[in-house]
Amino acid sequence: MESRSSSERRRRTFIGALILVCGLSLAAGCVTVRPEDKEFLAEPAMTFGSGGDARAQEEHVLSNREGSFGAGAASGGGCGCN
Amino acid sequence: MRLQLALRLSGSLIAFAVVLAAPLVAQAQVSVTTTNTVYRESGGGLDSTAVTPSLRIKGTIQDRVTLRAGWEADVVSGASVAVVDAPGGSGVDAITSATEWSDFRNTATAGFGVKSDFATLEGSYTYGTESDYRSHSFSLTASAELFERNTTFSLTYGRGFDSVCNLAQPRAQEAVDRQRLPGSDGCFDDEAEDREELDLALHTFQGGWTQAWAPVFVTQLVLTAQVLNGYQGNPYRAVWLGRTAAQENHPDNRTRYAAGLGMRFWVAPLAGAFQLFGRVYRDTWDVKSITAEAAWEQRVLEGFTLRARVRYYNQTGAAFYSDDYVRFPRGQYFTGDRELSPMSSWLVGGHVAYDVPPGEDGSVGPFAGFVILAKFDWVKYDFRDFRYGTVSVPNDRAIVATLGMEASF
Repeated sequence: MESRSSSERRRRTFIGALILVCGLSLAAGCVTVRPEDKEFLAEPAMTFGSGGDARAQEEHVLSNREGSFGAGAASGGGCGCN
Repeated sequence: MRLQLALRLSGSLIAFAVVLAAPLVAQAQVSVTTTNTVYRESGGGLDSTAVTPSLRIKGTIQDRVTLRAGWEADVVSGASVAVVDAPGGSGVDAITSATEWSDFRNTATAGFGVKSDFATLEGSYTYGTESDYRSHSFSLTASAELFERNTTFSLTYGRGFDSVCNLAQPRAQEAVDRQRLPGSDGCFDDEAEDREELDLALHTFQGGWTQAWAPVFVTQLVLTAQVLNGYQGNPYRAVWLGRTAAQENHPDNRTRYAAGLGMRFWVAPLAGAFQLFGRVYRDTWDVKSITAEAAWEQRVLEGFTLRARVRYYNQTGAAFYSDDYVRFPRGQYFTGDRELSPMSSWLVGGHVAYDVPPGEDGSVGPFAGFVILAKFDWVKYDFRDFRYGTVSVPNDRAIVATLGMEASF
């Protein structure tokens, strides 16, 4: 009985998180940062995945010594410069 | 006759393709990157070192098509405990009797990318080989920029076909009877009758959403799921079970889920960015973990940046993990892997990067651009429920040092 309610709670959390992410991604369409305002977004410090091979090697080293994996970073910076 | 005709036809086609592609290749922007990382773990008698050199070449043709090729190696050496928790009077014996080992892994990668105004498609293939492990992996990533390029969605699928060498033991039907692999001699040799190859299949799915919310604020959400099926243990490691030791026995199936959220905030008066990253993870072996990272990246002079960061990691143990299988067995599975025990770590480090500003002619000496990066991290692990016999893990400190250079032409 306990595991059933725990599984139900997990399912509701997942659905809630999914609705939140979908809602936010739709709301993202309302956000407008004009191209001329993207000077700072184009900085390497503001770009995800800008570490390149050094970051990939670090993830390789650390994930071999930890029990978890994934969701590190994808490329992209929102500056339209990729 | 037919063969000669086929050869002539192929030769003509290749020559024709080269003539067509030559002007494009001549216009290509080429970059060469080398990155070299040293990982050194020390403490007690279980020191180990991993050196990872890599070389990558990337060519971009008319800003639309990218071709990549690369090589990377892992040169690993150190000492390891072959039979975890074996009685020897005291736990110190287990460590002082640790065996020296070394391995050399080579990987070769080739990839492509095709870009339109708002979308990118990238694919890659990697082949990895070492004395006791072979792998083939493919990945395909599609990404699209939407809403005036303020939003980027990406989807990745990766597929891996791995083979692990193991000791062939057809008479040992029960896991508790299986012996560990004593060495890699004979692995992947068809004539070696006492070796077998075990498969591991990997499917990785990843979705990313990067969003610019304001001229100084950007976030990224990454969701990953991975399904593994096949042999996932270390064939060299055995666990003491009471009367005897047996090769560690992990479940064949594992599904992993992770969600990561990164935020970057530009502080204009300081010309630097505050970076936050958090990640949660869980899998069907009941390992759950959290990762939290904070960093500050500072632009000092033109092209010169400094970054300092701190990272914390904490995980629970696998459902079948026990520090003592004699007194506290956990069903049919057993492991000597400390990475499946409850553990945490702190990492403190930083990097210095210099993107050499171009001269008046727009170049940097013989190059169109040149970037150099030096990185250093210090890591402290805490294995709170893992002991070799009665002795805590001695090699619980590590350094990670990286030197990278990229030249573009």
